[in-house]
Amino acid sequence: MVGERLGERIKVREELIKKACSLSFKAHKSPGKPYLLEKVRGGALPEVIFVFSGSWSVGDWFSSTSGKAFGETKVDLDLFPSLRNIGNVDEVAAVNDAFFKRFNEILMTPSFKKEVNKAVTDKKQIVFAGHSSGAATAILATLWFLDHNGQVQPNKTQIITPRCITFGSPLLGDRIFPHSLRRENWDNFFIHFITKHDIVPRITLSPPSSIQQDFQTILNILNPKSPITTHENFSNFFVTVMKNVQSVTSHAACNMMGSTNPLLQTITSFVQLSPYRPFGTYILCSGNGKLVVVKNSDAVLQLLFYSCQLKSGEEIRDFGLKEHFGYENELEESLEMQNVVYLDNYLKEVPLSSDASVVGEAATVNAALNDLGLSTRARLCLRAAGELQEQKQRNERKINSNKKEIEEKLKIIQDYQKGCTLRKVGYYDTFKIQKDDKDFHANVRRVELAGLWDEIIEMLKRYELPDEFEGRKEWIELGTKYRRLVEPLDIANYYRHSKNEDTGPYLVKARPKRYRYTQRWLEHAERMAQGSSYESCFWAEVEELKSRNKPDEDMKKILELERDISVWVKGGEIGSDMFLGESTFAKWWRELPEGHKRGSCLAQFMNN
Amino acid sequence: MEAEASSFETSEILATFLGSTPLLSDSWNLCRHANSAAPHGFLVNRIAGVAYVAFSGVQTVAGLDSDLTGCRNLVALDCDATAGLFSELRCRGGEAEEEPVMVHAGMLNLFLSMFKYTDFQFQIFELMKQSKSIVLTGHSIGGTIASLSTLYLLSYLQSISSPLTSVLCFTFGSPLLGNESLSRAILHERWGSNFCHVVSKHDIVPRLLLAPLSPLTPHLHSLLQYYHFSMKDLTVQNIQLLPNEMKNEIFLLVLAYAESSAKLEGGQRPGRESFWPFGSYVFCTNKGAICVDNEIAVVKLLHLMFSTASASSSVEDHLKYEEYVGKFLSWQFLKTEGLLEGEFLDYSSYEAGVRLALQSSEISSHEPAFEPAIQCLKTAKRMGRTPNLNSANLAIALSKITPLRAQVEWYKKTCDEFDENRMGYYDTFKLRGASKRDDKVNMNRIKLARFWDDLIHMLDTNQLPHDFQKRAKFVNASHFYKLLVEPLDIAEYYRTGMHRVKGHYVKHGRERRYEIFDRWWRNRKVGDEENNNRSKFASLTQDSCFWARVEEAREWIENTRSERDTRKLSMLLENIDKFEQYASGIVERKEVSTDVLAENSSYHLWVKEWGELKSQLQQFPPQFPGFFEGNVVP
Repeated sequence: MVGERLGERIKVREELIKKACSLSFKAHKSPGKPYLLEKVRGGALPEVIFVFSGSWSVGDWFSSTSGKAFGETKVDLDLFPSLRNIGNVDEVAAVNDAFFKRFNEILMTPSFKKEVNKAVTDKKQIVFAGHSSGAATAILATLWFLDHNGQVQPNKTQIITPRCITFGSPLLGDRIFPHSLRRENWDNFFIHFITKHDIVPRITLSPPSSIQQDFQTILNILNPKSPITTHENFSNFFVTVMKNVQSVTSHAACNMMGSTNPLLQTITSFVQLSPYRPFGTYILCSGNGKLVVVKNSDAVLQLLFYSCQLKSGEEIRDFGLKEHFGYENELEESLEMQNVVYLDNYLKEVPLSSDASVVGEAATVNAALNDLGLSTRARLCLRAAGELQEQKQRNERKINSNKKEIEEKLKIIQDYQKGCTLRKVGYYDTFKIQKDDKDFHANVRRVELAGLWDEIIEMLKRYELPDEFEGRKEWIELGTKYRRLVEPLDIANYYRHSKNEDTGPYLVKARPKRYRYTQRWLEHAERMAQGSSYESCFWAEVEELKSRNKPDEDMKKILELERDISVWVKGGEIGSDMFLGESTFAKWWRELPEGHKRGSCLAQFMNN
Repeated sequence: MEAEASSFETSEILATFLGSTPLLSDSWNLCRHANSAAPHGFLVNRIAGVAYVAFSGVQTVAGLDSDLTGCRNLVALDCDATAGLFSELRCRGGEAEEEPVMVHAGMLNLFLSMFKYTDFQFQIFELMKQSKSIVLTGHSIGGTIASLSTLYLLSYLQSISSPLTSVLCFTFGSPLLGNESLSRAILHERWGSNFCHVVSKHDIVPRLLLAPLSPLTPHLHSLLQYYHFSMKDLTVQNIQLLPNEMKNEIFLLVLAYAESSAKLEGGQRPGRESFWPFGSYVFCTNKGAICVDNEIAVVKLLHLMFSTASASSSVEDHLKYEEYVGKFLSWQFLKTEGLLEGEFLDYSSYEAGVRLALQSSEISSHEPAFEPAIQCLKTAKRMGRTPNLNSANLAIALSKITPLRAQVEWYKKTCDEFDENRMGYYDTFKLRGASKRDDKVNMNRIKLARFWDDLIHMLDTNQLPHDFQKRAKFVNASHFYKLLVEPLDIAEYYRTGMHRVKGHYVKHGRERRYEIFDRWWRNRKVGDEENNNRSKFASLTQDSCFWARVEEAREWIENTRSERDTRKLSMLLENIDKFEQYASGIVERKEVSTDVLAENSSYHLWVKEWGELKSQLQQFPPQFPGFFEGNVVP
């Protein structure tokens, strides 16, 4: 947009960026202090910056105890509950263990939490910042803050969202990071500056085993306090790292471009590819004052390789090292120039050739790509990243167009449910008996709906929908409605065919993903305990309790179920047709011990 | 179909990925070492958790030049000599007829003698104990041995159902190994992705067997000898040892046959006595590399790149892998070349990608091979629509046909529970008259079969993801389909008297899809679910061939009436006895659905017939001494 400054666009004061940068370097030089805190004035709100110092020992970059090739470990969900896939609970984000441990140590110091809390109470704009490995700590601090201070405080006042500003940060989280951040709408809060030849943002794309020989030596020269500024092994190190970056990026590009060759998978099982991926907003400094802003994680990953194609050993020595320290000057110049390109909107049609005779904004984009030194291959990879994003949006539009059909079919099942209730047998049991044509038709609707929802789940499993999808309110609502209305029919069908005898209890062995996912959407959105919203499958619990027929042993479970059912019925989350005289539920309940029934919270419903 | 504008050419980026990994250079280094240090043998090494086995390219192979067997020296892989080593690898044709999977006789002999007379097996098993990833590799004929060893290993691993070891085969300038049936059998087993053949642009050896070589026997001897000398020591390369005239003759012959092989279009098939590639090919040049897995495209590129060669470059290129691999490792890295000129501005992403791929293949726009090469990559792209997209579409298609299955279920239910004939759905369908309801079910049966057959066809032709048959959704759906609908297929088979034409269903009439689904179900991940005893009859009979067995058993009873030969008669009775044990077992365990027990079902009829027969037999027991001593009578 013409005239809009970078700071306005990314909603961070430019003075604050510069301040964060100089403080980040200052932090390295304050021995003994893991972080510095500085109050800044000049913005609309009083601001406070937490900057974290870096560390330069190998053990603080790659943990040797995580047992994984890239020193990664699953995140602690108590600290970072949002860093996971919602539908597929097995997909928990992985984080670089060494960086996490360093952050955790700081979190454990009594002063840190206190100072953060004070800043929140004082309604200050909080900024977490850092350079190099200090940046990694800043990122984790921000994520921790976002998950723990929620969007809303207990007293209902809107929290002031924090900012994270990093300089030359290494990658530290796997692909679940960008996925979760987009879903939570947090990716705007992370601003990462990297200069185009800085080796540090690329290091964790290399398996530590491939660089271990030189790594400590190189870290020593990357330490700003170090008197040594270069080393003969640096070129070698640089080449090894970039070789590994090429593996990761070309592998990603094969997938983005839809390679059909199964050899890709075979090779992948033979080599170790870094799990780490970029997330948040990246701002690449081209080295001549221009800035390129990209949020698309796939595109950033490609740029990490293609923007860093140094030719000779001399070039590597000259740029590869120096650029890790050049952020202050680089920012000074580029914030002055305000020559900024926002690449995300152009990814799909970036010019393929450097001398493309394009005009207008496309020409500005092209000039910036030339400054980054992007070849045609690089530009094709950017296009593929843009195309993939577009494809996800197309998929979502297609899924959205099914909404009406889903609503209509739900309406038919609702009518079926009403009809059954009028005839004094609940729809669960009517369906289970499957006697009339109308039962058969309801079954066909059930199967058709399953098809529509399975399509969504399939796409989600393969990350073919926008990352935001599982946070969309209208889908969470529709999913809940569907789940509450139709899942009882799936359960009825399951127990009608006695499939529990072939495969085990419905809830353990057979519950379809379309219900598991939609339940988790609601639980995550409402911040409910995992598994608490099982109102749609209480029938399965009833069936299992009934077939076990050991009420005394199961009493704890029975009490729990009764309590939950009474809450759900009162809250209107489920209907009350289960209390009709001949229902599976009523028959089972009547067989419960007399003493229990008298005191049961469901007695009033059953006696009506 | 995705629009071409939004698609990308990936043959080049895939090769880039391959080149960026250490696999290729580590393989080649060991190959080179094996050539010089272990002629006629192999070497073993382990690097970073991956085990490498390299077979020397210095091998004396019989019959490369002469035509011993009358069909280009191909022999069936499933012959006595191989003693079942490759038993998992069969080429299933569309119909019952199987085409023989054939490989080069001389190469097979080399492999077998290595297998029998060296510690090859022992070494491989030792490696498998230490490593979960094994790369088999070789230069020249060593590459062919590596391919055969890989086939053996894959076959072995499949026979013991061990998914734990990953196997990958890298060959460098390997001659072709077998015929098109071999290639299709490998696709069927989904082993294509385990083979990667690196071929330099002009190398004559990978193209050699496209031509019948018997006219050039003496020339070939000199050529192979020359290669052996040079491979043992790469520093001694003296191309002058080979007369130009000789090189020319071989080159022209091979070029002519490569050209005619490349004329084949999609859909056409080469003769069963022609050699044919399988797996992926990586074509490398001085400017880069591309990786292609469509066989037709591979054959065309083998020809097109060869057509830019000269007689001497075609001979020399076989010894240049050191250079190519070296370039491959460093070429793209740190390079900003490959900027297309402004004239390409209007190209779509896809067109631009194809042109970059050609740049990497060193085919420039003024060469006659340029246009055909472009067409070739485009065709390969069209034929390889992304497997993932296909499987996503299949998931949708599955949900669309599920209502058809629901109708069949409803049919079963109404037949089993409400029909006044009391026959169950199997017999109702078998004896059906002309009713709308039965017609509709038959229609659904046919539509469902078509869906699953199409799916299997896609699987056979590598159009689905490699782990497709492990996806619970399809494993479960296919199993359920089989249990519900196969009885109808059996009913149709016996209704139309096919058993009299082709033989009984289980052996002669069963569709391949059901056998495949059996395999999927057997190989699925089974949890620790307890196998509780059933409290009531299953909703579907758990042996989907139950009715076919009933039909056979009924025929046996029928036959006993006319059988006069006592030996044959006692055999029949033994069969009937076995069936009875099987059937009463499955009924007792309640693994059958209620339709089996319907009053007028074929099974019930069989029980009655058998009862009658037994009482008849008991009246004349002396004829069958010993038969009733067993526990036949329940």
